[in-house]
Amino acid sequence: MEVQKEAQRIMTLSVWKMYHSRMQRGGLRLHRSLQLSLVMRSARELYLSAKVEAHEPEVPLPPVRSPDPRLHQSREAEAVAEAAPPDGEQPSPEPMDTREAPRAEETPALCAPRPAKVSRKRRNSSLSDGGDVGLVPSKKARLEEEEEEGASSEVPDRLQPPPAQAEGAFPNLARVLQRRFSGLLNCSPAAPPTAPPACEAKPACRPADSMLNVLVRAVVAF
Amino acid sequence: MQPLWSQQAVPRAADIISTVEFNHSGDLLATGDKGGRVVIFQREQENKSRPHSRGEYNVYSTFQSHEPEFDYLKSLEIEEKINKIRWLPQQNAAHFLLSTNDKTIKLWKISERDKRAEGYNLKDEDGRLRDPFRITALRVPILKPMDLMVEASPRRIFANAHTYHINSISVNSDHETYLSADDLRINLWHLEITDRSFNIVDIKPANMEELTEVITAAEFHPHQCNVFVYSSSKGTIRLCDMRSSALCDRHSKFFEEPEDPSSRSFFSEIISSISDVKFSHSGRYMMTRDYLSVKVWDLNMESRPVETHQVHEYLRSKLCSLYENDCIFDKFECCWSGSDSAIMTGSYNNFFRMFDRNARRDVTLEASRENSKPRASLKPRKVCTGGKRKKDEISVDSLDFNKKILHTAWHPAENIIAVAATNNLYIFQDKVN
Repeated sequence: MEVQKEAQRIMTLSVWKMYHSRMQRGGLRLHRSLQLSLVMRSARELYLSAKVEAHEPEVPLPPVRSPDPRLHQSREAEAVAEAAPPDGEQPSPEPMDTREAPRAEETPALCAPRPAKVSRKRRNSSLSDGGDVGLVPSKKARLEEEEEEGASSEVPDRLQPPPAQAEGAFPNLARVLQRRFSGLLNCSPAAPPTAPPACEAKPACRPADSMLNVLVRAVVAF
Repeated sequence: MQPLWSQQAVPRAADIISTVEFNHSGDLLATGDKGGRVVIFQREQENKSRPHSRGEYNVYSTFQSHEPEFDYLKSLEIEEKINKIRWLPQQNAAHFLLSTNDKTIKLWKISERDKRAEGYNLKDEDGRLRDPFRITALRVPILKPMDLMVEASPRRIFANAHTYHINSISVNSDHETYLSADDLRINLWHLEITDRSFNIVDIKPANMEELTEVITAAEFHPHQCNVFVYSSSKGTIRLCDMRSSALCDRHSKFFEEPEDPSSRSFFSEIISSISDVKFSHSGRYMMTRDYLSVKVWDLNMESRPVETHQVHEYLRSKLCSLYENDCIFDKFECCWSGSDSAIMTGSYNNFFRMFDRNARRDVTLEASRENSKPRASLKPRKVCTGGKRKKDEISVDSLDFNKKILHTAWHPAENIIAVAATNNLYIFQDKVN
């Protein structure tokens, strides 16, 4: 359980670092992105293997959970992992340095993985869409997308790099990040996601659950 | 051997030093910084009237090598930070060096001017044109001495050859060519030709989503002009021979140490990434630096290194925190002493480590003005790794991870070292004769 939490924390941190590295001067650093994706992948594998071992009974969720996307991600993750050249060795479950990670930094809201429960209530759209449940935009999101398409000149300068870079190292990541984060970027955290702003329901932001799921999915996609 | 190290601190304003390099004679020391500037120090000649100033390095020349640029096609800003400086062997009175940022390599000529021509016919001493009707006699200009002026001028600009960020340049022993390496490709240039370069290594996969490793450093062999090595983010080194084929994607030798399964951890992959590779002066060995250790390899043995030196093994249990504060991505360099008997690399808390290969001893020293006075010898430092902390030891948790020594250089012939600590340059000399 702790291993799972830690793995998720590392995943979130990695994705945040990956996103943040695109905004740095000099553009996307290929080596850094690769290293972050390696950690991301190890964390994901650790998380998945810990989840399999856990065999947890069903536990009531806090209201803003979207468990289905994680399931979908797992399947996609495995598919992607197979496509990529295999590492050849399984990461052992032991090596997480949970001692060093101060407990205070853990984000209770984001760090609670749960098995999929179709009947779970969700803040936004119905689960019957199947498929990309986690990526179905909420009404708010759709509005933002329309605004974004219509008013591309108002997009802040710092959003310009991703599309132009899309033809570079990680095109899928670039596109997903650009699509999903155009609204979120205006209220992006100044500090690492240990204090996620999405939890403080700012009207222009996306809900916390789909942010994490989208982040994780985006990274897995490349 | 108990060397006494005297210290000369050279403060720099605001800019972080990003590369340090002695020239082939050791009389000049070049530094590059994040602001794109190059500062060259020159060693003072022996002077009987000022015996203490012998061997001191003073500023010789300062120039702006690279400016920030903007790639309009990709909407990318190109940093002006100088990633590497490499000197060319000296062939005449002028000095030449290559300096590079992420995308462009420049060849700079540094020359001295200590004479000036006076007595021109068409212009007067201020440079203003003389009225032709006032010229009644013809005179021959004569050379007069002037205050020494050191000029730096860009002689070649090698641009537009790298899609990814340049991490290394290396001048060939033929003195005509050099290589430049980015994350996925290595290009071969001729020093005289700027509009063409040959791609000699390309590890870019057809599908970028299959990318698993990148090139982290590359260097030419010091004597064999057809041989070079490049290191990867997976901890491997490939030695290539340019005679075997035009495109050196297939290596001649492959150096990799099998991973110790007992030390495998969550961050194993990223700490095995090699941040620097350097041939020994003899050309028989090469040294690699990964996050926690330096390894010396015999070029004739690919299966494992002949020496492994732990730089700061006490950090192995802190890798998670170091990942959080990004320190785990720091790229430390390493260097050989002139005789190859010792190697040096940096660490945190302004510590740097020296390993005497013959005596099998190592020492940790600190580059800081607070803790050592100029001309006093440096005291060895010790990090307390557990248990009771002794007097003068520093505990791992008190280390300042913002004070990192990434760049060091060793004089090619003498025991003089240059250590870059953020924006300060320290030069240490061995007083033992």
